[in-house]
Amino acid sequence: MNNMDLSKPRRQSVKGLVLIFIQGARQSIRIFWPLILLVVLQNKILDNRLILGLILVVIFLLLIIHTILFYLNFYFYVSNGEFILKTGYLRKKILTIPLARIQSVNTKQNLIQQLLNVVSLEIDTAGTAGKELKIHALEKAFATELHNKLRSVNFENVELENSEMIDAKKSSEKLILKLSPFDLLKIGISQNHFRTGLIILAFGFQIFQKLQDVFADKADEYSNELANYISGSNVALIIFLIIFFLVVSILFSLFRTVFKYFDFKLLKQENAYRIEAGLITKRNVVLPYNKIQELNWETGPLKKMFGIYHLIFKQAVSTQNKKVQLVDAPGCLTEHLQLLKADLFGDEVLDDTSKIYSNSYYFWRLWIIVGWIPVTLPSLFLYTEWQFWGSEILWLLVSAGYNYLTLKKRYFRINKDQIRISKGAISHKLTQMELYKIQSVEFRQTIFQKRGSLASLTLMNASGSMTIPYIDETIAKQIYNYCLYHTEISEKSWM
Amino acid sequence: MENFSNSIVTPENLPDIKPETFNLLDIKYRAILFIRIAIFMLFVTGAFILFLILFDEKPAVGFIISAISAILIIVVFTIVITIFGFPKKGYLVREKDISFQKGLIVFKSTSVPFNRIQHVEVNQGILAKIFNLSSVKIYTAGGNASDLSIPGLPVKVAQNLKVFLSEKISKYE
Repeated sequence: MNNMDLSKPRRQSVKGLVLIFIQGARQSIRIFWPLILLVVLQNKILDNRLILGLILVVIFLLLIIHTILFYLNFYFYVSNGEFILKTGYLRKKILTIPLARIQSVNTKQNLIQQLLNVVSLEIDTAGTAGKELKIHALEKAFATELHNKLRSVNFENVELENSEMIDAKKSSEKLILKLSPFDLLKIGISQNHFRTGLIILAFGFQIFQKLQDVFADKADEYSNELANYISGSNVALIIFLIIFFLVVSILFSLFRTVFKYFDFKLLKQENAYRIEAGLITKRNVVLPYNKIQELNWETGPLKKMFGIYHLIFKQAVSTQNKKVQLVDAPGCLTEHLQLLKADLFGDEVLDDTSKIYSNSYYFWRLWIIVGWIPVTLPSLFLYTEWQFWGSEILWLLVSAGYNYLTLKKRYFRINKDQIRISKGAISHKLTQMELYKIQSVEFRQTIFQKRGSLASLTLMNASGSMTIPYIDETIAKQIYNYCLYHTEISEKSWM
Repeated sequence: MENFSNSIVTPENLPDIKPETFNLLDIKYRAILFIRIAIFMLFVTGAFILFLILFDEKPAVGFIISAISAILIIVVFTIVITIFGFPKKGYLVREKDISFQKGLIVFKSTSVPFNRIQHVEVNQGILAKIFNLSSVKIYTAGGNASDLSIPGLPVKVAQNLKVFLSEKISKYE
């Protein structure tokens, strides 16, 4: 099966020529579009067909030469435990990645690549900046083999002691989660339409105003009847627009979900999960267990009705790039979530531990910042208007309600190995991680918190940080000490 | 089996980090902080004077007075904070981790276990060079937020700390 010799430098598939050409054309259009616009707008140059034709031919020839040179100078091979990619003809570039450092190997396929039946391969590393590799065109079979090979080499390096593991890895994958078009429909509907709706509404409102202006002008010109009719139907128009935008935003979310997550599959391998999804661009992501830093799941009022959770796996950040590697499943059911949690974190012991809530001071601080400060500042200028006082009180009540919900959802559970943090207001977000994944801990206490013997605690892992605000000072200190202790005695690698 | 111990772990008997045990930064570092405040204030005052000169109409006296007093208040406030906040700044190296704390109004203490350090750097700015100080920056895989920076160390101490930490890290590789 593994008959390919990676030590010999090799080029990508010949079909890559097409892709390089398209990319080159795209780049040159992006750079020269102001010039192109100028040429098109100034008819004088355009009149001279000969010159225009000549320019086009020259550009075309240059692109062809670029394509061929680029293709000929693009090599990759493996030597001394490093994956090496050579590229460039004018300015040569050599990228090397130690195989042991490879974070993930992903394949992608966009529309053109699907037509050509090739895939692009991306190699991500942890910690080294600007060293993400991309090979545009590989024959599918070859890519799969390279994919497996790179990963198996990677695992050989990481887990030298355990040679059985590599054999076991080749065993078949187990399907954990699959989303049917009907599931996607449900997920699309349960997205956060409020947010999408607001954006579209703001956009639509401008158009609506423009329309009104236009109609008002026309009405003056032609007949007063029309003006009366339109201004009389304002309420109806607004209601119509709201419904219209709601429908548009739902459709928008639906299309987005279907495009991005079409034929979504989450498969379990020996050491990793594999995710496959996409209608036009096919994503194929492999997530080794040990690279997963935390698991997030989220549900909202609508999602809850359908029993759907949004799942996010957080992977290590590459230090200089500051790009968090997120891999998400748009929706899964409670049983899938339970399965994944059991898989990642072992038996669900955290459910037996008690919830520790943030102190109610947290509510007051939020309410002061979100509610009272915005309310008191303008009152210096607007205190004479009664509408102002009405909206002030409304704002205070709304923010109080929102912050109350925030407080009620702000809690955490901890046991000797794991922590789970809950937050949210209307939606509910949960994060769980193994304590040995911690990179550093921070204890934070303002002078106001000190008076109430409270403190905030932040735990940082390689994919970001999580804060536990306004908890008892002694609890915060104990967790701080425990996290350090636990991380320091841990033999497990965080990645 | 040397020094084997396996005592019960309860949160109460875990080693605690006490703010009092931290090593203070070199007092010369406070001078650097003051110079930084002075430079910043020079900029602000310069900008204000430039604004007064370039502004066509003469601004009201009340405006000038309130602006000057605002600048003065900020200067006094930052100086007071710097003086009283300085003893709060400190670092602590234990057997298995390193910590840094600071903050008068907002107290912050950050710890990084040695087995999570990626690499260590010694830096020296222009001002620090004059005072013969260095800072040690400790990188983890957690990105900016979890990195630890200890400023105001005598050059010798910073070098030693770096060597010490590098040795510790290499054990975990």
